[in-house]
Amino acid sequence: MDNIAGKKSSLTWAVHLSVAALVIIWLIPTLGLLVSSFRTVEQISASGWWRALFPAEQNLTLRTAPPETQVQEGGVFVIEGNLFAVAGETPTQISAFGISAREVSAFAPGDTAELRRGGQITVATNGDYRLTNTEAFDGDRGARVFVTATVPPDFTLDNYDYVLFSGDARDGMGRAFLSTLTVTIPATVIPILIAAFAAYALAWMEFPGRALLIAFIVALLVVPLQLALIPLLSLHNAIGIGKGYLGVWLAHTGFGMPLAIYLLRNYMAGLPRDIIENARVDGATDFQIFTRIILPLSFPALASFAIFQFLWTWNDLLVAMVFLIDATGETTVMTRQIVELLGTRGGNWEILATAAFVSIAVPLLVFFTMQRYLVRGLLAGSVK
Amino acid sequence: MTRSFMVGAAALAFTASGALAQDLMVPVGEGPFNWDSYQAFADATDMSGEDLTIFGPWLAGEAAAFENLVAYFNAATGAGATYVGSDSLEQQIVIDAEAGSAPNLTVFPQPGLARNLAARGFLEPLPADLADWTRENMAAGQSWVDLGTYANADGQDEFYGFFFNVNVKSLVWYIPENFEDFGYDVPTTMEEFTALMDQMVEDGETPLCVGLGSGGATGWPATDWVEDLMLRTQPPEVYDAWVANDMPFDDPRVVEVIELYGSFTGNDDYVAGDANATATIDFRESPLGLFESPPSCMMHRQASFIPAYFPEDAELGVDVDFFYFPAYAGRDLGTPVLGAGTLFAITNPTPAAEAFIAFLQTPFAHEVMMAQDGFLTPLLSANPEAYANDTQRGLGEILTSATTFRFDASDLMPGAVGAGSFWTGMVDFSSGTKDAATVASEIQASWP
Repeated sequence: MDNIAGKKSSLTWAVHLSVAALVIIWLIPTLGLLVSSFRTVEQISASGWWRALFPAEQNLTLRTAPPETQVQEGGVFVIEGNLFAVAGETPTQISAFGISAREVSAFAPGDTAELRRGGQITVATNGDYRLTNTEAFDGDRGARVFVTATVPPDFTLDNYDYVLFSGDARDGMGRAFLSTLTVTIPATVIPILIAAFAAYALAWMEFPGRALLIAFIVALLVVPLQLALIPLLSLHNAIGIGKGYLGVWLAHTGFGMPLAIYLLRNYMAGLPRDIIENARVDGATDFQIFTRIILPLSFPALASFAIFQFLWTWNDLLVAMVFLIDATGETTVMTRQIVELLGTRGGNWEILATAAFVSIAVPLLVFFTMQRYLVRGLLAGSVK
Repeated sequence: MTRSFMVGAAALAFTASGALAQDLMVPVGEGPFNWDSYQAFADATDMSGEDLTIFGPWLAGEAAAFENLVAYFNAATGAGATYVGSDSLEQQIVIDAEAGSAPNLTVFPQPGLARNLAARGFLEPLPADLADWTRENMAAGQSWVDLGTYANADGQDEFYGFFFNVNVKSLVWYIPENFEDFGYDVPTTMEEFTALMDQMVEDGETPLCVGLGSGGATGWPATDWVEDLMLRTQPPEVYDAWVANDMPFDDPRVVEVIELYGSFTGNDDYVAGDANATATIDFRESPLGLFESPPSCMMHRQASFIPAYFPEDAELGVDVDFFYFPAYAGRDLGTPVLGAGTLFAITNPTPAAEAFIAFLQTPFAHEVMMAQDGFLTPLLSANPEAYANDTQRGLGEILTSATTFRFDASDLMPGAVGAGSFWTGMVDFSSGTKDAATVASEIQASWP
């Protein structure tokens, strides 16, 4: 009975440790994605992201300068230069080199190797090479040199440059960003407006069939929205809305409504009955009670639903593809823009990682500004 | 609400400024293009003020290449044609067609879906003379007509699909300098190919990189192998019977081909890494083994689109090249070529849609696409000089000189097989959990 009140449990440290461990486990994939977003596609397929942070020994395939750069020194034709400079790579230290795919590290730096096509090559530790031959080198490509080198960590901002600034204004990320805002802000505000009224009525106004209506709305939560895609789009086409912003706002409103009403009704039903009855006694109408008392008190629930709806509409691709994006290419959203950057057969990993961070920037901002309401709102209806 | 309208207005302003920036790839009259056909088309067609929407599977670079062609169509006719790509075209076009908001033209990535939509009455037949035109002007013309002809809602056969952009699958990619280092020659018969593989193993090298992974479509590269080997061991009639299921999937001839595939890729000596784990290697990453130092494999059998996944600095034809996946000299089946391709169909008829199909009949339209990477055409009148590089030209020649051209069987089989049990069956077989006979009979059982 030592640890009941006023005394900290001796197991607090175990709780803290396990929380820290869980947080780290949760963050590792995100960290991997972050590191990958600064790497090139070759680096990503060559090694894991955790190796990107440290220097690693790698086998590189480099090339000497082409034969057209050869000079004649006495009776000997010479091509000289630095392997890393030719390839445009960061200079580093070489520990071995080779001239055939058969044995890529046959020679130590400073050794002289006989080329199969005639001539000798010497490669120094810093990548300087000297090719010599008694006859002129022909062909239009330099000789391949395989080197084993320790490559320092190398990060690039190219992926971000590509994701953010590729394409002109017509189909760039900037336009997609504005479009996404055009979709998400009304698609968040409209359902909240409607659901707040409905939730008040279902929580505090007496009318026959109220319980059934609530049960019906809760039941709608289990209906997958995919069922409604084709009928709803036919309806939009039939009444002349077609594909466009109005259509996608209505669709998001409809799909978000059951959860919104359910969440807000449960919260409002938990508000103290005394306040509302006092207001009634003082002669307040339902509308006054709603605007003056219920709405201010329900702010945490409204905010938490706003976060939910905002995140869902921000990340949505399916509803936007069906109700917004038509074949004229005039409208787009960020999620679609990202899919397009991934290419016809997908699999552009570096773009995926980068796009993930670009796309979560705004939701993160929304989350951190409103997060204190989120936890309160999450508990709405669960405990009183 | 005011705010959202302002945002919308800003988006519109962006659009307006972008429309001006659409330039032509090459000025009219320059380059190895058939400008006469362009000019004749431009003179004969006036679509000023007409809008045209085109929906297709191409994204990113491939979309940009096609948009270059669309720009010429707009310049020639005054129309306002736009292209939109999607990676989920298969689902989206069905939703749009059902709901009545289909685009004017749809580019189908394979015939199965187009056949399906034709049967439900969502496609408009192409102009009557186009089938004859295709027969006369394209290499293996009749096979393109057959692949584009489907039953309509009343069960009548009509010509719906116009093939544009074909890829060749019967290719093996390799690094010429690696072959030089080891003294290997490019094999011209399948017997030489298998001897070369054994030679590589003897030299301590690994012949093949195989990767079957492709997300939800994992297994399709193995179906290409099986189809290619089928064309090399059986006459084309057997292949056709197999596609139509007139010959059951568990026929001994099919089982034999699956086992033949296993003899290439089910052997740790022949395949880089664990031969039972090829399904875990992504098809986009497996060719990179060629470029490693030291190389983890010497050859990679894959279609003509794969250079898109080669390292950026690898130059086609110099750093990396291809040879035709050879046929058995002893079997006398000619030089069969396996391929696939995208087809245009009219999903929402307008004069501009028909004009665009007519535009695709000009050699010029093909040449503009050929000048950009990753496009091959069976059109005989297109100038091979227009190809961007020798590798593309070589691929084009394989296509126009094929004695037998057959379309990817898995694209022609019903979706439940061609995009389902055939893929998963090949994954089961490749991972060694089931033998060829079991896999074949399971696939046959899943045939609808």
